[in-house]
Amino acid sequence: MTIKVSRRVFGAGVVAAGLVGTSGQSLAQGTPRRGGTLVATWGGGEPQACYVPAGGGSSPTFSSSKLFERLAKRNMDGTFEGVLAESWKPSADFKSYTVKIRKGVKFHDGKDMTVDDVVFSVGEIWKKYAAASALTDFAGIEAPDAETVVFNYKNPTPEFFFASTLCGIVSYIVPKHVYAGSDPVTNPANNAPIATGPWKFKEWVRGSHFEYVKNENYWKKDQPYLDRLIIRYVRDPAGRAAAMEAGDIQIGVFNPVAPPDIKRLTATGKFVATPKGYEEAVWSTTLECNMRNPIFAKREVRQAMFHAVNREFIAKTVYYGYARPGTSPIYSPNKEFFTADTYKINFDPKKAAALLDAAGYPKKADGKRFTLNLLSAGWFPENGKVGAYVKQVLEDVGVGINLTVPDRPSSIKRIYTDYDFDLAISNQANPSEPVPSTTQYFTTDGILKGVPFRNASGYSNPDVDKLVDRIKVETDPAKRKALVFEFQKITTQEAPLLPLVELESITLASTKVQNHSNDPNFLAAGWGDLWLAS
Amino acid sequence: MQRFGLPRFEFVGRFSRNRGALIGACLMLIVALMAVFASVFFPTDPLRIVGLPELWPGEDPEFPLGTDSLGRDILSMIVHGARATLLIGLFASAVATIIGVGVGATAGYFGGWVDEIAMRAAELFQTIPNLIFVLTIVVILGSTLTNIVIAIGIVSWTPIARMTRAEFLSLRDREFVQACRSMGMSDFRIIASEILPNALPPVIVLSSLVVAGAILFESAVSFLGLGDPNVASWGRLVGDGRQLIRSSWYICAIPGIAIMITVLCLNLVGDGLNDALNPKLRDR
Repeated sequence: MTIKVSRRVFGAGVVAAGLVGTSGQSLAQGTPRRGGTLVATWGGGEPQACYVPAGGGSSPTFSSSKLFERLAKRNMDGTFEGVLAESWKPSADFKSYTVKIRKGVKFHDGKDMTVDDVVFSVGEIWKKYAAASALTDFAGIEAPDAETVVFNYKNPTPEFFFASTLCGIVSYIVPKHVYAGSDPVTNPANNAPIATGPWKFKEWVRGSHFEYVKNENYWKKDQPYLDRLIIRYVRDPAGRAAAMEAGDIQIGVFNPVAPPDIKRLTATGKFVATPKGYEEAVWSTTLECNMRNPIFAKREVRQAMFHAVNREFIAKTVYYGYARPGTSPIYSPNKEFFTADTYKINFDPKKAAALLDAAGYPKKADGKRFTLNLLSAGWFPENGKVGAYVKQVLEDVGVGINLTVPDRPSSIKRIYTDYDFDLAISNQANPSEPVPSTTQYFTTDGILKGVPFRNASGYSNPDVDKLVDRIKVETDPAKRKALVFEFQKITTQEAPLLPLVELESITLASTKVQNHSNDPNFLAAGWGDLWLAS
Repeated sequence: MQRFGLPRFEFVGRFSRNRGALIGACLMLIVALMAVFASVFFPTDPLRIVGLPELWPGEDPEFPLGTDSLGRDILSMIVHGARATLLIGLFASAVATIIGVGVGATAGYFGGWVDEIAMRAAELFQTIPNLIFVLTIVVILGSTLTNIVIAIGIVSWTPIARMTRAEFLSLRDREFVQACRSMGMSDFRIIASEILPNALPPVIVLSSLVVAGAILFESAVSFLGLGDPNVASWGRLVGDGRQLIRSSWYICAIPGIAIMITVLCLNLVGDGLNDALNPKLRDR
């Protein structure tokens, strides 16, 4: 697919023109050159483990996706393609899917990948951890012969949903002989994974980098083109910019450097920046209300929080125009399911104040209605700035704010395990298929204490739960779309959690790096096809 | 042994004979005035977004030192930051001095196993790298101003304890102390009203240096993003600006210079105090 420029509208039009103009070079076709070491980084920190069975956020996704593979992937043009699966087709009643498994695939330890591994991965890892909320209707998986598995469902399952499940970001095929009989969450192999992907784990120097080497027995002939892949972690965007400028790092995904540095580095002609490769992982910065605080029991109070915030300001100032205001939990680049026809909570501090007055929280003698703890997740530096801004605008409408910006582990623990916040600024990345990635932030079955990036607000509404259940089983694409539109209308009006801004993610790469940004979730792609020009 | 309490003019005279100390004291006075009158000069919250982001110093007369990446007035943050920074320095130094003098006096006066336990405890604290210890405490307790003060106090008390103990060791068997003992004075009274005043001058000098150290610790903590985000402090400003160091370096440089001047002045004042309080050491 050629990316539609129209939906990639930048706040800064000039920059957009520059980026689109230069990104052509990065995708230049040619005969891949073999050999070489690619050093990569991303705009976040080191993961808690190389592979986290339940996902664990983008950081472990980035590190594990070079080693593990999924059954299928989505292409830039929106079509699905088999990876470890060769094909799949639904039964007439859409209650089961027959999947042909690729032959001749070996794990890094030399053992063959078989249907047993697929059955184990789906039944024990996906169902329990990786895709638990996508498999609520799952009724089991069986292997009728050595190259076929059959997924059974209790209810009709839409084709788009099924294919998206196969492409789930951590829906990997893991080796049964390593994981069987162990607790997958604490299995030591998570820090030195054995998988089927183009890259083999060599070592993890904590606090510094992962080193991966070429998988000589990779099933895709000729790949990977490179000999070595290093994933290096640099805590600070300015440090990443300096490392890239010095030639120590050749590619940085997901906003590796601060926006002013993007302009500075691309101006040298040695780097290209592109917004491509994030179509299936559109990021947003979200604000959520902790429903365990009785103040948020009234919908008007939650809406008031969002009325107080000028999302345009955040997009322009905090993100330098590399963001746009969010209007719905389904993001605007989503061709299949986005609708602009949602409940609009526009920037209107007066209305916010009026809503709070009407909800029974007038300003007291000290000028405050009540005081809330605002937690800004410290994994991205911008979150702290958004937090400082949200604090100011909420104080302007009489809501006292105590702001904290804890580091990544503390933020994850306080938001998703301890629920120790009243308002939280966090981030999420969602694929096109709304179930379960998007819906699990709103449904009751998404309230999973200790599992990051789920329903931490504690919002539970039987109507939303029922609606999502209908979205799950509706096999008619048009009807399904209408249901997802309805979901967006309800959730934007209920406002337990809404995006403040949708982020324009940028990959910055040396002009030598070829074939990058060619996957709609490039951060989570295998990177076997990357090569370095001489 | 003469009691602490020099004639005032002599103290001032000795202090001002050290030119550096005089300059340091004057600059410190300015910083202190900034801290006291911050709310008079800049009545609005310094963390308020008031202008366009990243205005360079002098670009807009309304913001003489420019604005940071969100559009907050840097001059206002510097002036208000003086308050937070000095408060942290003074309180952290007070915490360290109270712990240090308490532990040191007890250890030096009683000796024996009390001394052993106290000094081994002090050594335990000294073996842990200070900054890492501060960061650990702040991460565990949470990044509020009070916790940062406590954390810095906890890591900074050991030199004061050692100094106090040494002074007590040399004073506890002097005649005037023995006279007090023979008169039947309680241990606490001897420590507090007889030995301590004589032991204080070097401790005061050391405490003034702990203030400088505390300011640096706070700056490091804030620089690493673990400072109290509800308070404008200089270290925080440096930390916020470091992302933009290649394009808008003034955001880091201005508070950095403020920290440097203040810490330098505190050291100069410490030198001056040393000259004034320990005149015999001056000629060594």
